[in-house]
Amino acid sequence: MTSNKYIHKLSLFLILTSSFFLTQGCEKDLPRFVEFEPYSFTNIDKDGGMWKQVHMTGVEQIIIDAPAAPTSDAYKIEVAAAKTAIAAMTADDEEALKYWGNNPIVRWNEIARELAAKYNLIPPPNADGTYTLPDPANPSKFPYFPFAHPPYSSRAYAYMSVAQFDALIAAWHYKYKFGRPALHKNDSSVKQLLPTTDLPSYPSDGAVIAAVSREILSAMFPLEKDYLKSKADESKKALILSGLHVQSDVSAGDSLGRGIAKVVLQRAAGDGMRFAQTPKSISDSIKNAAFARFGWKWTNQETPERPVGLTPFFGKVETWSIPDLVAVRPPVPPAIGSAEFNKAADELKNIANNITTEQRKIANWWSDGFSTTTPPGHWNRFASDYIVKYKYSPLRSARTYAYMNMAVQDAGICCWDAKYYYHYPRPIEAIPGFKSILGSPNFPSYTSGHSTFSAAAAAVLANIFPSEKKQVDDWANEAAESRIYGGIHYRFDSEAGLEQGRKVAAFTITKAMADGAN
Amino acid sequence: MLIQHCKNTLNNFSALYNIRQILLLIPKSNALISIFLTGNKLIKIKSVRNKILIFLTFLTLLKTTASMAQTPSDALMMDNNELCIAMIYQNDTWDEYWEGALLRDNQNIGILTRNTIMPIMAYGISSKFNVIIALPYVTTEASRGQMAGTSGLQDFGIFAKFSPYELKKESCSISTFVTGGFSVPASSYLSDYMPFNLGLGTQEFSLRGVLKYEHKSGVYLRGSYAYLHRTTTEAERDYYYADGSYYTTTMDVPSASNAEVALGGWLFNKAIQLEAGYVTQTSFTGDDIRRQNAGQPTNKMDMASINGRLRYFPSILKGLSIMAGYSDVLSGRNVGKSTIISGGITYQFMLKKAQS
Repeated sequence: MTSNKYIHKLSLFLILTSSFFLTQGCEKDLPRFVEFEPYSFTNIDKDGGMWKQVHMTGVEQIIIDAPAAPTSDAYKIEVAAAKTAIAAMTADDEEALKYWGNNPIVRWNEIARELAAKYNLIPPPNADGTYTLPDPANPSKFPYFPFAHPPYSSRAYAYMSVAQFDALIAAWHYKYKFGRPALHKNDSSVKQLLPTTDLPSYPSDGAVIAAVSREILSAMFPLEKDYLKSKADESKKALILSGLHVQSDVSAGDSLGRGIAKVVLQRAAGDGMRFAQTPKSISDSIKNAAFARFGWKWTNQETPERPVGLTPFFGKVETWSIPDLVAVRPPVPPAIGSAEFNKAADELKNIANNITTEQRKIANWWSDGFSTTTPPGHWNRFASDYIVKYKYSPLRSARTYAYMNMAVQDAGICCWDAKYYYHYPRPIEAIPGFKSILGSPNFPSYTSGHSTFSAAAAAVLANIFPSEKKQVDDWANEAAESRIYGGIHYRFDSEAGLEQGRKVAAFTITKAMADGAN
Repeated sequence: MLIQHCKNTLNNFSALYNIRQILLLIPKSNALISIFLTGNKLIKIKSVRNKILIFLTFLTLLKTTASMAQTPSDALMMDNNELCIAMIYQNDTWDEYWEGALLRDNQNIGILTRNTIMPIMAYGISSKFNVIIALPYVTTEASRGQMAGTSGLQDFGIFAKFSPYELKKESCSISTFVTGGFSVPASSYLSDYMPFNLGLGTQEFSLRGVLKYEHKSGVYLRGSYAYLHRTTTEAERDYYYADGSYYTTTMDVPSASNAEVALGGWLFNKAIQLEAGYVTQTSFTGDDIRRQNAGQPTNKMDMASINGRLRYFPSILKGLSIMAGYSDVLSGRNVGKSTIISGGITYQFMLKKAQS
């Protein structure tokens, strides 16, 4: 009798306990990309082919052939092929079609961010206490090339965005020059599976974006060439399945995109980035010059000590819009031990001792450290969200990314100029016994990179999306504040960074205002 | 008998907790605790409802089982209301950890120390059914580098232990136990702050089966297997990389299995209990810590460890015991190569005098 009672209890116990597990099991489906539905564009900017390009010298610098007429046999064969492909569409193809949508630039930006996160890992120390740096000539030798730190990533985003923008201006030019209607407009039996536009289909803007993005990212992340090819192929297949394009639209776009990427990559090859990570001798002389000038110098605090900071000569990389770096260089920071310094140091100590959950959250939210998309990536995420929110066309999207990322890279260059000119020590170095909840990066403190990047990005986004000005300004201020909460920047680093970022962005915005898009 | 039962309860319980202490992970605010303590609006209602539902079901289960054990006509049940209280201290240190499969040191951490003070209460609802609660307080710090350690309450745990079958012979006895457990973060600690995190920041449902053989000489062999179901934890960032992109603050914390074998015995007329054990823990899913990256709660965390335990029952006070333990991680993946020293004191007594 007693044992029956217990068996009964045991069964009940087991059944109920197991049911917890089963109920919980379904909750772990987590989003791997930003989900949004394909949308109709608010404006297709028919005159977009007349906008001023950033780097290319003319819309026909890369020539594409005139398309075959809709009445031609060549076109009819392509239509038949497209229809066959559409008829054979699988469920996976439908997923891919929805994923790429009709503005795949948003996806390419996402892909770039993922690669930045994947490669944003600092080289570990060797057993003998030395460090080996990634070698662009031998990218697959550990530590893998690149180390996609914030300067590197800001540059990758900028080159990709500039090439996308220049390529789409050329594409728009050709689209309206040739005026080939979309496939479903030529053949009413073809069902169009993405929201309609009146955009001419030759060359396919999606193919231009796929080609240009693939080429730039393959140069920036050479170990990802196969992955990028597979993404480009998937994207191009979706273009045919959308009912908007035939193969020659896609091929022409591909050829235009590759041609423009090649020209833009020539700029990248000579922009000074390959000298940014200086040898120790140069790094030491930069450090000594700062010490002679100001009486302080920054030193890496890790064990073993990293002998050279991150990209001391990133400040010498060619800017997109800044005529004179010194003109946007912030004033000299407070001397170590001065009243102003002590005030900033006391604030940090006070925060470290009494940090609130809210402050901790802000520090982590903006941390954007190793294995993340970096602060420039964080702002590309915001730009992407606004592009979708405001239903921007591919051309408007490219313009948004291009100006924002040029401003962000320029902000990085100016910030790095200040960092190595002033060579200011981090709080963990200058405040005895100080500990932080974020790791201190391997470069000097003044000015704050986060603040500079963020203020520049916010200024460009506010210019493009005026009704979001308050939001983006709040974000930039919060990003600047987050570094103080994290214990890795003094307040004066952040304030000077914000000011510097705004100054830098003003040059970019002046350029944007004159490009014919407004 | 009851005393014996209570001892076993605590032994198994601390074995279960040891595992959690060894983990490298870091905390973050937890959905359930947030809704109870702060009413955090960021949480998805649906999932919270689910979680609350599950929690309530669990409480209902406890109640149901309890009321079944106390039939209205059986006033003598009060005789079994024995309470054990315990205070356990653990000192967990490591100077090497596994970054994926690579065992390495990190001179910017030096020695990582994790100290835990854990009050435990175990209550005998009947001689066959016990309920245990525990609330560890944890501090972490590194001996080198400039990263700040943390401290605070870790996870509140409640465990129901049931003895469904027992066989007693003259020469030996065989006993079985089933333990169901639930734990939930007791503070808003951040799990995504490895290796300083207080805990995994997740709810954990555990189900453990224990089989024990004891010879009349006092020598016993015990084996157990547990399934640890972990929910998710919340990071303080809405994008993270774990073998690809995740666009969410939610991190999937791998569920795991835990198996133990232990050989023990009683000496000096049951004044001393000695035990040695081998424990393995294996995550069912999860990614590896990447080179020179910090760990994160999504990591696959595996380990195998050996442990030894000594328990002394001084004759000066009936119901008192003093415990000491040692545990060493032999192999692992994405965990610290921990050495754990623990000590504790337990006291058990009748909550109410038996009604005569």
